[in-house]
Amino acid sequence: MKVFRSHLLLCGGTGCQSSGSLAVKKALIEDLDKRNLTEEIKVVETGCNGFCALGPILVVYPEGVIYVNLKPADIPELVEEHLIKGRILERLLYREPGTDKIIPTMQEIPFFALQELRVLKNRGLIDPEKIDEYIARDGYAGMAKALTEMTPDQIVKEMLDSGLRGRGGAGFPTGLKWKFAAGSKSDIKYVLCNADEGDPGAFMDRSVLEADPHAVLEGMVIAAKAIGSTQGYVYCRAEYPLAIHRLNIAIAQAKEAGLLGKDILGTGFNFDLEVYQGAGAFVCGEETALMTSIEGKRGMPRPRPPFPAVAGLWQKPSILNNVETLANVGQIMLRGSAWYASIGTEKSKGTKVFALTGDVANVGLVEVPMGTKLGTIVYDIGGGIPKGKKFKAAQLGGPSGGCIPVQHLNASVDYEKVAELGAIMGSGGLIVMNEDKCAVDMARFFMDFCQDESCGKCTPCREGTKRMLDLLTKITQGKGKEGDIELLEEMAGVIKNAALCGLGQTAPNPVLSTIRYFRKEYEEHILEHRCRAAVCSAMFKSPCQHTCPIEMDIPSYIALVRAERFEDAYKILLQTNPFPSVCGRVCDHKCQSKCRRDNMDESIAIKFLKRFITDNAPRPKIEAVPVTRKEKIAVVGGGPAGLTAARDLALRGYKVTVFEELPKAGGMLYWGIPSYRLPRNILDHEIDDIRKLGVELRLNTRIGKDITFAKLEKDFDFIYLATGAHKSQKMGVTGEELGNVFGGVEFLRDFNANEDKWLKGEKTLGKKVAVIGGGNSAIDAARVALRVGSDVTILYRRLRADMPAAEEEIKAAEEEGIKIEYLIAPLKIEGKNGKVSSISCQRMTLGDFDNSGRKKPVAVADSEFTLKVDAIIAAIGQVPDMSFVDKKTGVEVNKWDCYNVGKGYKSRTANPKYFAGGDAVTGPDTVIAAIGDGHQAADDIDAAIRVANGEPAYEKPAKEIINVPLIIDEESIEAPQMHMPEMNHDTRKLSFAEVELGFNREDAIKEACRCLRCDAAV
Amino acid sequence: MAKLTIADLKKIKEKVHKEMSLRDGDRRVKVTVHMGTCGIASGAKEVMDTLLQEIETAGANDVIVTTSGCMGLCSREPLVTVEVLNQAPIKYEYINPNKMRQIFKKHILAGEIQTPFVLAKGSEVNK
Repeated sequence: MKVFRSHLLLCGGTGCQSSGSLAVKKALIEDLDKRNLTEEIKVVETGCNGFCALGPILVVYPEGVIYVNLKPADIPELVEEHLIKGRILERLLYREPGTDKIIPTMQEIPFFALQELRVLKNRGLIDPEKIDEYIARDGYAGMAKALTEMTPDQIVKEMLDSGLRGRGGAGFPTGLKWKFAAGSKSDIKYVLCNADEGDPGAFMDRSVLEADPHAVLEGMVIAAKAIGSTQGYVYCRAEYPLAIHRLNIAIAQAKEAGLLGKDILGTGFNFDLEVYQGAGAFVCGEETALMTSIEGKRGMPRPRPPFPAVAGLWQKPSILNNVETLANVGQIMLRGSAWYASIGTEKSKGTKVFALTGDVANVGLVEVPMGTKLGTIVYDIGGGIPKGKKFKAAQLGGPSGGCIPVQHLNASVDYEKVAELGAIMGSGGLIVMNEDKCAVDMARFFMDFCQDESCGKCTPCREGTKRMLDLLTKITQGKGKEGDIELLEEMAGVIKNAALCGLGQTAPNPVLSTIRYFRKEYEEHILEHRCRAAVCSAMFKSPCQHTCPIEMDIPSYIALVRAERFEDAYKILLQTNPFPSVCGRVCDHKCQSKCRRDNMDESIAIKFLKRFITDNAPRPKIEAVPVTRKEKIAVVGGGPAGLTAARDLALRGYKVTVFEELPKAGGMLYWGIPSYRLPRNILDHEIDDIRKLGVELRLNTRIGKDITFAKLEKDFDFIYLATGAHKSQKMGVTGEELGNVFGGVEFLRDFNANEDKWLKGEKTLGKKVAVIGGGNSAIDAARVALRVGSDVTILYRRLRADMPAAEEEIKAAEEEGIKIEYLIAPLKIEGKNGKVSSISCQRMTLGDFDNSGRKKPVAVADSEFTLKVDAIIAAIGQVPDMSFVDKKTGVEVNKWDCYNVGKGYKSRTANPKYFAGGDAVTGPDTVIAAIGDGHQAADDIDAAIRVANGEPAYEKPAKEIINVPLIIDEESIEAPQMHMPEMNHDTRKLSFAEVELGFNREDAIKEACRCLRCDAAV
Repeated sequence: MAKLTIADLKKIKEKVHKEMSLRDGDRRVKVTVHMGTCGIASGAKEVMDTLLQEIETAGANDVIVTTSGCMGLCSREPLVTVEVLNQAPIKYEYINPNKMRQIFKKHILAGEIQTPFVLAKGSEVNK
């Protein structure tokens, strides 16, 4: 008998075969053959061993080691490592799921725990095609009670007392509707169920019909008894074949059991019903159009009065109720109106089912008591917005409704409050929208829908929706005009008042709602041709370029990287950005947040590619520009805004002098951002290039002290104030004046001014340092403190997801060993001998939402604790230091300590000689925003000068034409963003060497190939 | 079914409760494949077919299979609930045919809950 040293059992079961075990087997046999191992090692194909979802599976005997998820490409390594070298291949090893992993109960999952099921009480628990299972859960018991123990008047009273309001959207009291119909005298009356559910995004009714059809039937029988009807129809849209199928089965089973039809439950009461299929018209969800449709005519509404309760289907008294409304009725009869009214708000009783969908983690059906907060539904039940995006608005009520924006997350969802906010409850569709959705486009979408579905009978709707859609479409294409918003509002008013039915009357709602909350977006589309969500693509080349504050031509320089023309790529960068090296390292890359590739796998590493270009291509040589203009311009502040303005003006032939109070220029780039993020020589080269143009840089010169404003005004024609925001905000706790308590920016400035002393240990923070704050400054201060030898903990008062700092920065800090504690706020600082010795803090919990959509931290009583520290760095925000501004200049400083601009030109102050920009105007913002401000100021100053001289406007010299190749791949294979190699975690915190190491050539080109070329126009 | 009276409604309720709670001797496991449109669109039919096939191949006579409509968390469909006699029901999420096979062999037959695929245990409480 042949003896083998090893047996390889490969699963050949159905599951593993469908995962590719045959290919693995082939690869295995081939590899063993290649290595001449077939005499020693036997491959056996076995039956299924049960791990079907982890296949293909291989068990190696005699060890009994299990390898899972095998691919043919894994085989050579597996054979080499395990069979030849005898080493287990860890990465393919089967890992027993941790036995300590606790399975949560349904009640521990907020999605389920926070719901209150009444309409959906049977969900997941019964087979809808078995009437017995419905009966077993109290089905038809309410009907039995209504038919045998109650009079029609009593039934109506019970409905009135319950407070149930129509769940189709209008919210009319159901009991009242039934009362009117009951009071109408007629031998024939009809009970109708509206199962048309036309709202885009709504699927509650479909779910009820598919999962629990008998609940609807039971409700209709009770309604029939209440008003005196013997015939009913369920109007169900034909697009719901499963619902129709299950309804028909339910009707047949109910009839067979004597629960529908003649002599129900032997009480002598007759009620029969059929299903009538809708034919695909949204308008047929409207009461009178629905009835017209059942009558066999084209679904068009009729004027009311007469109301259906008086003259409805075939002119007979009829009631039309929504599926969800009817599903409540049986339980109201069984358990009583008091039970039903025990939850909800004063005017909105009971529960509401929402179809939660859109940009939310848990898409599904949510039933909550009326009055539940919107934020609870979106965040606690819905699980929040995926992919770290921000919440923008929730659309309620579909094409008839409106949106509720982030500042109203605390709003209670009930009929009155929702109407107050400009939306309607609607049938229950709740579409969550994140920051990547455009408000104008959303309004256009719903108007498009309404215009399409308009039956055409009345002029206001037929013509009005068409014209409104026209206007909205033009706005999204950048063809909007001043006055368009007002025209939309005017038309909306007319259509709302004059349209014949609910479709027309509510079609303008999404437009009015978005104008109410997002008017700025409409104005940006019309006046600036800007879509901040980067959706309205007719207005821009590519979303990345459109989102960049200085509109860098991203697709072009990425295409040039792909084509290995790095020098040309550098030229493209410099067309808009004087600091591409800097931005390639520290930009907050909003462009990447709108990169379309993110919808496929991950965004392109635009920032890293920009850095690659500047690191690997020779920088174009700078020649001095001759001074051809007589006006002299002073720039106060040598940061990115000031230097950009100086450069632009120098390029136009002006003589520019930059005054900087500190010994080195760069502003926050030098004094705020540490060198392990932005190496000094990189920054120096880019500042040098500006100097080479002919800009004079006067360091160590403080305006207002070394040189008065009066002298400045005498020597210069125009002055640009770009003095930044670098005074740390105080925490406002006692003990803040103690020694070794620093502001974040002040600490970083001190470090940069005395780097030698800090690195030698002559200056030190001490062993334990606490950093308060969650922005980039806090992270910078923390990582510097770590590098000068301290043990650092960051204390932040909210959650990680709320921290303004860039995610990559937070991660880098954690990897270096910095601890971050959340939900902690400082109370007071204690000291000894004039220096800080400890800080007392308080734990926070999260309360209601604030206007920014974040939950407000609320102090937890009796949760104070004390941390021993040797130094505290408070980096909770910066404000400009305006103490140096001479009031006689007339330059206004507002209540936020920022310059007021916008007088005539975007960047001009109240004094026409003074312009201002950067952090000193906006408050702390990004480098790229400051560069944008610098460009704006140069444009404004130059324009002001030319206008004053009567000269024609500035004409930009023709750009060098750089041919950008257009290569679009037939197919894009999914691949994550190229990973940026970094210095090892342990070594890097010992020095200030740059942590990110940059792409190599091969990786950069690979990454550039992932670009989908959204700018392509064929 | 003959025409029912009110008394009949109560009797059916008791009878079905007994059946549905698995106290009857030859029913050990109840599996519910949730088949609303959300489930079907995500592949619940294939999951159902796989389950029935595995039951047949294994000759498992003590396993009953039933369906229901949508159970609420549409984004995690296909969802399958496995209820073993005297144990809390286990809800599995994102199920495909291979996972169904594994759950059948390892949980339903061998009693080992397949934790990586579990959403939760227990039921929604109806107040």
